[in-house]
This record gives sequence, C-alpha cells and structure tokens, in this order.
Amino acid sequence: MRDLKHIIEFEDLLQEAHNDLVRQARESGRRALGYTCYFMPEVLLDLPGCFSVRLRAPRSGSPDMATYYMSNRTCLYGRCLLERALEGGFNFLDAQMATETCTVTCRFQEHLQLMDIIQNPDFFCEFTDVPFKKNVNAIDHFEKQLQCHVLDKLKEHFGIDTSDEALLKAIEEHNEVCRLIQEIGSYRKKDVPTITGTEFSIIQLVTQVCPKYLIIDKLRDIAEDLKTREPDVKPGYRIKVVLTGSEEDDPDFIRLIEECGALVVADRYCYGSIPGREEIVVKEGETPLRAIARHYIETSMCPRFMEQHTMRERKQFLADVAREYKADGIIVCQMKFCEYWSYERTIDTLILPRDYGFPVCSIEKEYVNNAVGQLRTRFQAFVESVEIKKLQGGAAK
Amino acid sequence: MKIKEMGGKLRARAGAMRDKLSEKPDVRKMARDFWYGKPHEERRLGDLYIGDTGLYKHREWRGVVDTMYYFNMIWLYNYIHMVTDVMKYGGGPVMGPVNLVKGLMRYRWMGQPYLTVMHWFDRGLEGMRGPILRGSAWHYRGMTSETIRQFMEMFASDKKLNGGKESEQWKHNIAHNETVSGSIFYGFHDVLEDIPLEMIPYFVTCHVNNHTVLNYIDAAQSIGLPSDPCPMCQAEYGLFVLDDYPDYAPTMITSNEACDGSVATSVLQDWFLNRPLYAMPQPMRYDDPLVQEHCQREIEGAWKFIEEQYGVKFDWDMYCKYAEEQNKLTAFEHEKWDVAANTPYYPINGVAQALYRIYYSQDGNRPIWHEIDAHVRKIMNNTVKNKIVTLPKTRHRAIAWSCAPLYYSNWCTWAYNCWGINCVINMDSLMFDQYLRTDTYEHALEDLAWYNEKAPMRAMAVGGHEHILSLWSYMERFNCDMVIMYDQLQCKGMQGIHGVFEDEFRKRDIHAIWVPHALPDKRTVSRKEIRKIISDYMITVMREEPLDPTLVDFEDDSSW
Amino acid sequence: MKKILLKILGIAAFIYGLLFAVFYFDLDGKFLYYIFEPAMIKHFDNMKREDNTTMPYEMKENVSRE
Repeated sequence: MRDLKHIIEFEDLLQEAHNDLVRQARESGRRALGYTCYFMPEVLLDLPGCFSVRLRAPRSGSPDMATYYMSNRTCLYGRCLLERALEGGFNFLDAQMATETCTVTCRFQEHLQLMDIIQNPDFFCEFTDVPFKKNVNAIDHFEKQLQCHVLDKLKEHFGIDTSDEALLKAIEEHNEVCRLIQEIGSYRKKDVPTITGTEFSIIQLVTQVCPKYLIIDKLRDIAEDLKTREPDVKPGYRIKVVLTGSEEDDPDFIRLIEECGALVVADRYCYGSIPGREEIVVKEGETPLRAIARHYIETSMCPRFMEQHTMRERKQFLADVAREYKADGIIVCQMKFCEYWSYERTIDTLILPRDYGFPVCSIEKEYVNNAVGQLRTRFQAFVESVEIKKLQGGAAK
Repeated sequence: MKIKEMGGKLRARAGAMRDKLSEKPDVRKMARDFWYGKPHEERRLGDLYIGDTGLYKHREWRGVVDTMYYFNMIWLYNYIHMVTDVMKYGGGPVMGPVNLVKGLMRYRWMGQPYLTVMHWFDRGLEGMRGPILRGSAWHYRGMTSETIRQFMEMFASDKKLNGGKESEQWKHNIAHNETVSGSIFYGFHDVLEDIPLEMIPYFVTCHVNNHTVLNYIDAAQSIGLPSDPCPMCQAEYGLFVLDDYPDYAPTMITSNEACDGSVATSVLQDWFLNRPLYAMPQPMRYDDPLVQEHCQREIEGAWKFIEEQYGVKFDWDMYCKYAEEQNKLTAFEHEKWDVAANTPYYPINGVAQALYRIYYSQDGNRPIWHEIDAHVRKIMNNTVKNKIVTLPKTRHRAIAWSCAPLYYSNWCTWAYNCWGINCVINMDSLMFDQYLRTDTYEHALEDLAWYNEKAPMRAMAVGGHEHILSLWSYMERFNCDMVIMYDQLQCKGMQGIHGVFEDEFRKRDIHAIWVPHALPDKRTVSRKEIRKIISDYMITVMREEPLDPTLVDFEDDSSW
Repeated sequence: MKKILLKILGIAAFIYGLLFAVFYFDLDGKFLYYIFEPAMIKHFDNMKREDNTTMPYEMKENVSRE
C-alpha cells in the first residue's frame, strides 16, 4: 500500500514525549498536563488553555536510577517513566493528573509528589480516586472526584475555564477526534484492511500524546486519504488478530507482530482505541461533567472492574470485537509484573478458546522490547497454528 | 594414612571425654538450671533441632515451673481443646469428630497441618519464660480455637462433604474474601454465619505448616499465571484449581483489599465459585473526605445484597451490640500498645502480637477473643504492677514494617533468642485502629467505612506515600531503635517505594534490616536465608555477639 | 475403695508420665513428621480431583448490580 499521509511525521512525533507539537503548544502559553491512565479523562485536560499528554518513555534503555527507587520487580513501564522523569524528560509538564489505578504507575506518580523531580516551578501532582465498579454510586463518586481533583485544581493553579460551556466545547473537540479515529480504524474491519495495525497505532498514539488542536487537520487528511487507499494485490499478512492486554505504547511491537504475518486489526489494550475513542454523549438533563464521568466508567474495559457481571462481560466484549473485526485469533499480551493483566490474561487464555472458539496467543512482554527473538518465534508459531486450523476447517467443510 | 587419621581423631575425642568426666559437676548450678532453667546465654537452643526437620531431640527445658506450665497449660491443654473444640463447634461428640475426619481426609490444607498445631506453638514460644510465655500462649490458644470454630462450621455445611446436599446451614452461610472484615456482617451476626473463605485454607495453614500452600501456588501457575504476582493471591485461587475449597455458602462477598493482585484474584475465584458475588471495594485515596460516602454506599450495597440473597433484614440493634463488643477488644489493644510502647513489661512476644492482632481484628467480634483478652489482661496487669521485665535480654527494640513472611512469622522469636532483637510491634498490628460509633446510623456507617479502608496492608500501602512513610512516627511512638523492613519480593506497592526508604534510612541514620521474602512461599527465600541476612547485619554492621551462638546457623528447610 | 482410688491414681500418674515423655521428647512431632504427614501427602497426591477449568463462565442472574 502507498504511504499514508503524515504517517512518517507522526512516527517522528512519537520519538520523544517532549515533541515538537508539545513544545509549540507550550510556547503558545498552554499548560501541559500529564497522565498515564484512561481513567483520567483526557477531555478534561484538553480544556482551553491546557492540553493532555499521556506519558510514554519512548526509546528507553535500562532504567537504572528508577530501578534503585522501584526495584527490578516492578513493571518497566512505571520504571521507565520514572527514569525519564529523573533524566528531565518530563520537565515540560505543568501538572501530573494522577490516578491510583494500578500500583506501579501510582508509585511513579507518588515519586513526582515526594521528590523534587520535575523542574518546573508550577508543577503539581494531584491524585483522583477511581472506583472499581460501574454502578451509579461509582459514577457519583467519580464525578465528585473529577470536580475536586481535576477541574478545581486546574482553575486554582492555572485559571482554566472549567464552566459547563467550556466542558461542552472540549467534549465537542474530543468527539471530533474520536469520530476521526473511529473512521480511520473502521478500515481495519474490511475483509482486506487498508490500514495496518502499526499505522493505526501510530495515529492513535499521536492523538494521545500531542495537543489535539495541532493534529486534527492531519487526522482529517488521513481519513480522506484512506477513502481511496487500495490494499496490496497480495496482502502481506496471513491472519488477522485482535491485540488485547495491558499498557502498550510501542508501534514497533505491533510492527513485530505484523512482520510475523498477523495483521493487528483491533487494539483493545491500554493506550488503544477500543475502548477509548468512543464519542462522549451528554444525555438530556445531564451536566457535561456527569456525562464525562459516566462515559469513562461505562466504556472502560479495565480488568480493575470487579463486579461479577462486568468481569464476565469483558470476555464477551473481546469476543464481540474479534468477530466485528473479522479476526482469526487473539493475542493477549501482558506487561511483565502487571498484576491485573496477569490474571486477566490467564482467564482470557482459557475462556476465549473454550467458550468463543478463538485461538489465543498468550504472552508476557517487557516495556522495552530489545530481545524479541522469542516473541517472534511465538507469533510465528501462532500464525502457523491458526493457518493450519483454518486449513483443517476448510477441509472439513 | 586414613586409618591413622581416624585413630588420631578417636584418641582426641576420648581425651576430651575423659577431661569432661574428670571435671567436677557443679551440682548447685545443675540444680539451679533444673529449677529455673539455664540462663539465656547457655541455652544452646540450636542444639535441640534434628537436622533440618525443625523437630526437637527433646523439647526445651525451661525450668520446672515454666516446663510444667508449658506441658500442662499449653501442650496438654491445647491438645485436649483441639478435641473438645471440635465437639463444641462441630455439633456434639459424634458429629464433630465425624465431620473433622471427613475434612481431614478431603482437604490437604486440613489433613496436613491440623495436628501439627502444637509445633506452631513451639516455634513461636521458643525460649520464652514466665509471663510472656503465658501471655503469648493464650494468644495462640485463641487463634487455634477460632480456627477450629471456622473449619467446623465449614465442614458441617460443606456440600462436598455432605453428598452435594445444600443443608440449612449451607443456606445460612456467607462466604467472603479473607480480607473482608467480619465487622461488615454484625447486622446479620445472629442469623447468618460469615466465614472467610481463605483464612483457614490459606492464611492459617501457612503459619502452622507451610508445606501445603506450595501445592496451591504451583497449581495457580499450572493454568498459566506467571510467577511474579503476589503469591498470597496465587495460593488463594490455587485452592480452586486443585478443587480444594470447601463449598459451604451460596454467595460470596469480595473486596479490593489489599492490592491489584487481590482484585485480579477475584476474577478467577469468581469463575471457579460460579455463584452470586458481591464486590465491595474500598476507595484507594482513603484520606480524601470525598471518598467516604462512596465507601459507605458500597457497604450498604453489600447489606442489600445479603438481604436479597438470604431474605433477612439488616438488624441495627444487632450491629450495635457487636460493634460495641468489638470496641472493647480495640480498647484493650490500645492498652496493650501503651504497655508495649512505654515499658519493658509487655507480656506478648512479636509473633503472638502480630498474628493475634491481624486474626481477631480481621475476623471480628467472637467470644473467644474476649476470653483470651481477660487472661492476657490479668497477666499484663501483673507484669506492669510488679515491674517484671518480660524480655530481659533485649538489646534492640524493633518495629517490623510492611507485610511479614507467613512461613516465618516466628522469626522474631528467633531474633530475640539469638540477638536480643525485641520486635515490639509490626505494621499490620496498627491497622483497624479505631472505634466504631453506634450512637447514630450515620456515625456507624461513617466509622465502618473508615475502619475498612484502614484494613491490613492497605492502611499503610495505598492511598498515598505518606501512609507507608508513617513508619517514622510509629518508631517514635513505640520507642524503637531498629527497623525490620520486610521486603516482599512480589509486592509491587512495596517494591515501588524501595529506594525512598533506602534514602530515608540513610538520612535519618536508622538501622534497618531488609528481610526479603515471598509471603507464603519459603522456596523463594528460605528461613535460613532470612536469618543469615539478620545475623550478617548484626555481626558486620552492629558488631554484636550472638546471645545464643547455636542459633546463628542451623538448617530448617524441611520444617513445618 | 482406697485401693481402686490408688490404682486409678497410679494409672493416671502413669499416663501423665507417659504424656510428659511424649511431650518432652517431641514424640508427637516425630510421629506426625515421619509417619502421619507422609501418609497424608500420599493420600492427597493420589486423590481424584475435579477439573475446575471446565466450570461454565456465563452471565449470572439474580445478582445485585447496585
């Protein structure tokens, strides 16, 4: 397929957290607000006068200083973020809007509070409590938390307009990004997709780490470009897969899977778009903040949710995604030391083939993917096994 | 050459024996040792062990009074009660033993550890004399009795032991995660029986006989779980993989206490239990006044769930009655802390303090705890009144921080005997530190929410770094000069703040010994390695001599 | 009567002495460690167990969602 518009530029933007667009936005006087978790509604951080940056630590090596602080038995994502912060790579942040949603990222953010790491006199780190359920009580609670720990703090520290009007405008802009991403992502549902998983992950990541107002035109261009993009005559993949699992912000990892013959057609992981890029709907009689709180609680598929029906619906959801995107299999991928996903991966690996008939490749990976030989072998073997099953299925028919 | 060498050795040995025999026996000293027991430095407790089994060549002679106390009031008394409690809680002299045997033969966690209970006493009470022997032993007795009550309740209603029958008792039991506090169920206390699901099969057995838990950890990993998540959580669901959980209740209540692993465990447990489940999470940022209402609603949600599932009503008077009873236990705990913090007359050793506190406060109000507290109060009043120093060889007063190795919770008994380290208090003793008001429903709910937010481990480990760093104020409060820093290798929360502690220890010039461990899994860090780490620190950094050199290096890998 | 009493006392003293020997020489521990526990381990290792991974996993009714 021909190169997508802006894709090289986008990939370039992902090479560091403090990228050109972040610089540009800050130079124009906007405040950079860091966050790590989907539960921190980015729409609130994209209010006029500020912009959200979902933290990544691209091109990380060995996080030695962070390993001193967090030991080598915590997830490398948290450690690499701390290392990057200690190196000064996050000094552009004006605030970190934190959540205690998984232990290690929480500890990383606590280090930002505890130690004088971010060299920015205005910097502060504020935590929001996130509920574990999807009931009305949880939404009430989350709404209060967002008001107090996000909106009030932004107003207090940076004079951000947090009125309903401002929120509605932010929702509108956010929804446009979501619509575009959904449109771009929908080309993955085709029998022969016209966008690769790697390309999509680059685009999706850019929407999370760059000021949206500076990329929206480019997203429109990409959506336009895709309308006429034709697939290769001989597709370069052998099977289609859904990638699900824990934190994943490295397009090279998706590239690795695709190099092994498995096209990633759906991204159901932290930093992915399913869920993540659904439009926020403000229901009648609902305040915009209430709508935002409800949206993030209802749409999230995080294994942190512990109600019985929610736990069970997650598997159904994943199977539905796989069907919708015409996937042949599912790769369940867990960051080493991520407790939520180590359990979720275990049950997904057993339930999805048994109850939904999807072959599953279950892997554990690091944040920094240096030695990928073993993973490559696993993916190649998975592709082959799915192909054989398909052949056998065809023969049986 | 070899024969010559052997001959030389034999001659040397014979010479030494001759010298020993020719020494005049100090009869007065022998009599004194017989009557009072040997002085601490001469006990040579390490010589009593048989290989690495943890068994004794003979049990320790503690002097006539303490040995006879141990024999009569601890060993015999508790063995007898292990039978009478079975009858008392198990439905009489026939059904009790019958159900016990069924349980013994059905569940590994029961069959292997139950009869080894007295050796759990032995390990925790080694070297103890006088009031601290008595006070600590009463604590052990309380835990044993409550354990028997719980498993007899389980067995009597267990579908697996009763031909799949859903008995009336089964229909009136609530299973809950061991980290859900018993206080939640006070409003149903007289009509329903709340029994923590993993407390006996996992938590208690780890302490008594840690051989069994290894099976559950391995089983957990056998279905694909990696080895790095908290092994406590692994073992808790490994029970299900091995089909070794008792089926004694129609519903389950779970919580997010204490960590990510605990939440994630619920996913697998829910699958294997496959019955109605209510999740009752507590907020993470619990200091925030805004989170309290949310937590209160979740507790009310749990009550509503119970009402719906069991067709019973939450009884406010019943709640008040048991909450007030529990307040009495809390009041006495505060008295105990006061004595522990400010005097050397505290008659409970480190392991008894830690285990009893976590057990009863988690379990909630039960008659046995009041009975035990009455015994201990009497002993403590006596030690305080008569200024009896209970651990006279104390060189250091230590606070143990973070979560303890379950397979070696008795390390503090060893540390005192070997090095004079007196572990005065530990982190998990300090949770649930509050009274439950009963003047109004609103106050009650407020307190209950707050109480459960400050549950074991989570009180210090979540909700902000200031909680875990409260160590410094507790050190001061309990007059400690040393920290035993538990380093649970798979606890992400504690690992995630490791370096900050290192920095602070240096800055504050605090002697801290990091004790790595893997909670229930002795294979990761053995007890011997734990002892070596402490001994190395005492020798190389503190430059101290052991009180009992036979305890510095010995094997106990195969012990219970 | 006195004789019987004495006899009972004698038997009790003997049992008491025997129990003390069991206690002092840790015979209970040795029995449990070398005989009882290995037998129990053998029993549990050979026990037939349900495969719980066959447990159904579907949505459940009758569960409070509030």
